[in-house]
Amino acid sequence: MSGSKGGPGADASANALELLLHRLRLRPAYSTDPGLPADPAAIARQVQSDDDLLARFAAAATAAGTPVESVPAAAVSATVVSLLKEHGARTVLLSPLAGSALSVAEAEDLGRALREAGLQTTLATDDDTLFSVDAAVTGVIAAVAESGTIVCPSGPGSARGASLIPPIHVALVGSGQLLPDLCDYLAGLSAQGELPANLSLISGPSKTADIEGVLVTGVHGPGQLHVLIVR
Amino acid sequence: MTRNTGFHQRVAAAVADHRLRTAVRKATWQKVEAREGSLACLRNSGELRELAARIRQHTLARLPDYLEQFARNACARGAVIHFAPDAATACQTVVELARYYGSKLAVKVKSMTTEEIGLNAVLEAVGVQVVETDLGEFVVQIDRDRPSHIVTPIIHKDRRQIAEAISRRLGCEYTEDPVGLTRIIRRHLREIFRRCDLGISGVNFAVAETGTICICTNEGNGRMCTTRPRVHVAIMGIEKVVPRLCDLVVFLKLLSRSSTGQPLGSYTSLIAGPKRPGDPDGPEHLHIILLDNGRSAVLASPFAEVLCCVRCGACLNACPVYRAIGGHAYNSVYPGPIGSVLMPLLDSSGKHADLPGASSLCGACRVACPVDIDIPGLLIRLRAAQRRGQSWLKRTMMRLWGVTMRSDPTYRLGQRLLKRLLPDEGDGWTVRGLCPLARWTSARDLLRPPLKSFRQLWQEGQV
Amino acid sequence: MKVALFATCLTDTFFPRVGQAVVRLLRRCGCTVEFPAAQTCCGQPAFNSGFLEHAAALARRMIRVFERYETIVSPSASCVSMVRHHFPELLAAEPRWCRQAQRLADRTYEFATFAIGRLGLDPAACLKFTEPVTFHYPCHARGIYGAADLQRWLAANPSNEVRIPQHPDCCCGFGGIFAVDYPEISGAMLEDKLDVLVATGARLVICNEAGCALQMLGGARRRSLPLRFKHLAECLAEGLGVLEPVA
Repeated sequence: MSGSKGGPGADASANALELLLHRLRLRPAYSTDPGLPADPAAIARQVQSDDDLLARFAAAATAAGTPVESVPAAAVSATVVSLLKEHGARTVLLSPLAGSALSVAEAEDLGRALREAGLQTTLATDDDTLFSVDAAVTGVIAAVAESGTIVCPSGPGSARGASLIPPIHVALVGSGQLLPDLCDYLAGLSAQGELPANLSLISGPSKTADIEGVLVTGVHGPGQLHVLIVR
Repeated sequence: MTRNTGFHQRVAAAVADHRLRTAVRKATWQKVEAREGSLACLRNSGELRELAARIRQHTLARLPDYLEQFARNACARGAVIHFAPDAATACQTVVELARYYGSKLAVKVKSMTTEEIGLNAVLEAVGVQVVETDLGEFVVQIDRDRPSHIVTPIIHKDRRQIAEAISRRLGCEYTEDPVGLTRIIRRHLREIFRRCDLGISGVNFAVAETGTICICTNEGNGRMCTTRPRVHVAIMGIEKVVPRLCDLVVFLKLLSRSSTGQPLGSYTSLIAGPKRPGDPDGPEHLHIILLDNGRSAVLASPFAEVLCCVRCGACLNACPVYRAIGGHAYNSVYPGPIGSVLMPLLDSSGKHADLPGASSLCGACRVACPVDIDIPGLLIRLRAAQRRGQSWLKRTMMRLWGVTMRSDPTYRLGQRLLKRLLPDEGDGWTVRGLCPLARWTSARDLLRPPLKSFRQLWQEGQV
Repeated sequence: MKVALFATCLTDTFFPRVGQAVVRLLRRCGCTVEFPAAQTCCGQPAFNSGFLEHAAALARRMIRVFERYETIVSPSASCVSMVRHHFPELLAAEPRWCRQAQRLADRTYEFATFAIGRLGLDPAACLKFTEPVTFHYPCHARGIYGAADLQRWLAANPSNEVRIPQHPDCCCGFGGIFAVDYPEISGAMLEDKLDVLVATGARLVICNEAGCALQMLGGARRRSLPLRFKHLAECLAEGLGVLEPVA
């Protein structure tokens, strides 16, 4: 019950939890149980069809402050290069893009194109790199049209900080990765069984409206999130 | 009220504070409109809300099973589960963890639960530096202020007050520009994010099916605090459990819409244990503290429904009382309508005794609530529970009134007496009423009853 | 149709003209109106303050007073709401009373929804304003009729200029005993409400709740604001010519 390496107080705590659960079970719950809905997705689902997923994604993402471009695979390198140069990036972290929008060869192509354009690329994910690079280009494991969301997982070579620390994040999404609705994504997760330790559902750049309700981007996460959908 | 909690003084000060009222009025209406606009974009917001309410009620009815399932699954993923029956134990657990891991610099995601247990002060007392990283909470912390809203902590401050706090406490140049202020805070906190060794967060939802905790932010500090430090400690109220991932979706679709009017916040993190071998970064240790602190008692009481709350803050934004007095006047960790129910239940010392009465029961909170908590009904039941603590005068007046209303002769007598109590200062109005009507005339004039009541007119055939 | 009038204590005491308007309108629509003289109060103030036994006693009394009437109509949505939504709940512990409370709830109606919905009174024909008009939507009308309904009735006649206030359903701050227990908060809410009404530029405010009217009339007078308040029933009755118009 208390996990592999208990740490301080874990055993006493485990006993206390058992006691609470026991007490809660003894006392009748004050309210009646309306029952667990069999299929919440039937009501929660907003996007019913597979049509126009790209357009829907673009609309939702743009509304949240994420510019979206759709390009054929052959044009990815040129698009990324021009995007990064336009925003003054000189150093770029390339997060492994395998299993996502690009093939291994296409990913290598991208790296080469960036270097040829005068940008410095790196695959390193140590702190010094993360906190100093101007931009990161990553793949995603899923994207959701309904909310303009991309999903970045943790995993071998895939640093949590890549989509968080550099001020510009360019995400490459394969058009086949687009799911209609958040319900679809979470249903997939449920079926999966195995989960990465961290899944970040990203639906826009970092933002706040704490100061007089004025929207400001780039608080702690990237101030710019760009999505490229690779057809 | 017999107890003097200082509420009336705080309220009087708040109501007279023009700057505060303007800031709160503007911000809350903006959020109400944003919420309504974004809910209107859903194809079936009413149904979704009913579904959300049902899932919450079901979860509370079967809480021990779901808590156990969550704990088991979270452990299976490598998290360590702790249980804290009260605030002191929760704080002590964090202190022991900090000592065990040699933590020196803790970064915090905004968490009302950690406010509730008073964690920051306890950690600082044992030499752990604690830095709030949510922009609003950061400003509150460096300005030695208190949050006044459960989602947007500095709703009571205008940009000038924020600029003064930042420039004075950080010693940097003065700017009132929100972008400039944000840059300053980002720069300052990045240094902290590089060095921090302990991350403390709350939990928005804990999924029993997978043992996953879900943390929602817009700024990215939620991700920073839960991925950068070696150790991540998450503190959650025991009511935060959600049965399955497919139930979580329902709340994700409602939370941000209700809270800020967004379809989904910028960052929704699903955390299933500490880092795995092969992960380039991430916490080595994840500790989850399940906090009771009075919740299990509420669960077994007629007020259990209040635990359905998902902490969206929509009720605060909708509440005309909150709008008039701001969050600080409540003098409670959770202000607003939900706070007026929750606080007297979690803290029965009497400190919050005024809160349940401070509502016109207009019901705007219930309309705004994504899980349809009957806050007005709960407030009435709390008032009933508090009845014996009311002043003798109040109870006597109510008894007298009740007696007066129980027969029409006494009722008519009451009407005649009322007219006597209202000095006619000319023109059919009373401007200075005699006690207890003086409390009415302190804020507005009082119409005197017309010469003939309706029933008199009826009896005279004039209707 | 025989209709019993439930005048409500505040209307009886402070706004008898509203009662007159309701009765005359019902008669004009062909109803026979009775006024059970034993009626006093629905008990809402006691209920809201948590004095549930007092409230239950008054609920039982009201059930008895209106026992033999098939249809009960009231000019106050909040009192109707008390009867419909809270009487059964108050008496839930006594099954026989609870059933009677439910039967009373099923036959008690708010005046405007009854006259317009059931009796077919046509707002386009009867509601004619000669000046811009605005309105306050009373919070306790939720579940009886909506702000949109009120707006629609007022705007039914195309020659009416209806000025929609910002946030028409925002509470005026009356709240019954709340107004005297927390006068500073009530006063602040009142201030905000009156500002919003004044901002419409209209001087006539339709307000269908005696408590709200007392609150707003009192606040308007204290601030010397040129606002006048009328109940929808008064406007309908004047429009139909069964009540002498006043300002």
